[in-house]
Amino acid sequence: MIWQIDIMILTLIVICGVFAISVKDLLGAAVVFGAYSFLMCLLWTEMGAVDVAFTEAAVGAGVSTVLFFAAVHRSSRQVKARVSGRLLYKWLGLVASGLMGGVLFYASTDFPDWADPASPASSHLSPHFITQTLTETSVPNIVTSVLADYRGFDTMFETAVVLTAGLAVLIILRLGGCRTAGPVREKSAAIQTAYKDSIIRFVTRMVVPFMQLFALYVIAHGHHSPGGGFQGGVILGASFILLAISYDLKMALNRINEKAALLLANTGVLIYAGIGFLCMLLGANFLDYSILHRILPATDEIAARSHAMLGVEIGVALTVMVIVMVIYNNIVSNGTYEKGL
Amino acid sequence: MELLLAKYNYWIYAVIMMIGLYAMLAKNNLIKKIIGMGIFQTGIIVFYVSIGAKRGGTIPIIEHGHGAEVHEVIKALDYVNPLPHVLMLTAIVVSVGTLGVALAIALRIYTEYNTLHEDEILEKIND
Repeated sequence: MIWQIDIMILTLIVICGVFAISVKDLLGAAVVFGAYSFLMCLLWTEMGAVDVAFTEAAVGAGVSTVLFFAAVHRSSRQVKARVSGRLLYKWLGLVASGLMGGVLFYASTDFPDWADPASPASSHLSPHFITQTLTETSVPNIVTSVLADYRGFDTMFETAVVLTAGLAVLIILRLGGCRTAGPVREKSAAIQTAYKDSIIRFVTRMVVPFMQLFALYVIAHGHHSPGGGFQGGVILGASFILLAISYDLKMALNRINEKAALLLANTGVLIYAGIGFLCMLLGANFLDYSILHRILPATDEIAARSHAMLGVEIGVALTVMVIVMVIYNNIVSNGTYEKGL
Repeated sequence: MELLLAKYNYWIYAVIMMIGLYAMLAKNNLIKKIIGMGIFQTGIIVFYVSIGAKRGGTIPIIEHGHGAEVHEVIKALDYVNPLPHVLMLTAIVVSVGTLGVALAIALRIYTEYNTLHEDEILEKIND
């Protein structure tokens, strides 16, 4: 907690936010929004939220920016300078946001001081998590143990929400225009013909295996260091997005086509829920992992919770990886899977 | 100065949410509205993570080594509050889902009306 850095970053964040919505070029706005996310990432690290910072770096600054690029590439980057008859909306927006800001400022006088160790949020439930995690689950990363075990029910439905978002994108773009053309199956032309981006393609070819290895490390080592299923899944998805950008979309689709992608996404949620139902079959509550020591060899009740968390994280990673890819592929090709960035 | 330190995070989160709400209401371009939505979401995340901060606390990963027994008693005051981190971690991942759906809707509107500007879309709908 270094308050000088805190104040500096927060001030920069406000400046970046104002710029992001006032720049007259959508590509520029997307870049400023990426910078805004990186500043957020610094802010989380400064406040000790390393897992959140990791997620923000992978999702907010990485994938979101690429999605904005894809959408702007598919539509137009111009913003009309001045429009008549919008004055009413401007005043309405100012009044509404002013009202909300006034209420929030007024409410902030009742909040406990920032970083106060005795604040109500830090004095009821969280001490139990902090002091008991190691003895109850043998997982030192408290965020992972709360995410996958203590609040496992919550996380299961968050994963389902991510799956739903991917399906919604598919329905809107792929089925929305009543296109009947199936997914592209032909061999990618890029591999044989083009030497034009050979430096970028060479670097991508070298980097992608290490990216995927790192993603697997992030998933598997989430018990002991920042990381876990969400972050590792997004990095895995980003490696395929990198392939799709530097080669072309067909190359990435040859690796994982739409059918396999959707199968994997559903498998991820199924793994999560399946572990929960397995606990029920053995006679415990839904997602009460400690009962799994009966079927996992050489584990006691505590180690069983740790191992089951790894299984759950793998399910989360599968779903997130595939959904990130599906969203990118559909937005960049406007649902046709024909031409990417 | 003390007041500034104690409340600065809470003031800034209000300002960020104001920026986001203004962009969502007043901007004419759909992509700008979506950026405003992203800014609004991060405002809420700033609020939650600020609640979790703790003076003198370190990151919520308990110090450990290979095979070493934990002899010291773990004190809750030594670690920042992990609960808001968990909630916001999943919120960030869900935010990329909402962003994807929002951009998909904007693209469908673009293919239908060939513009991303709200006033032109409204004109074409009313025609």
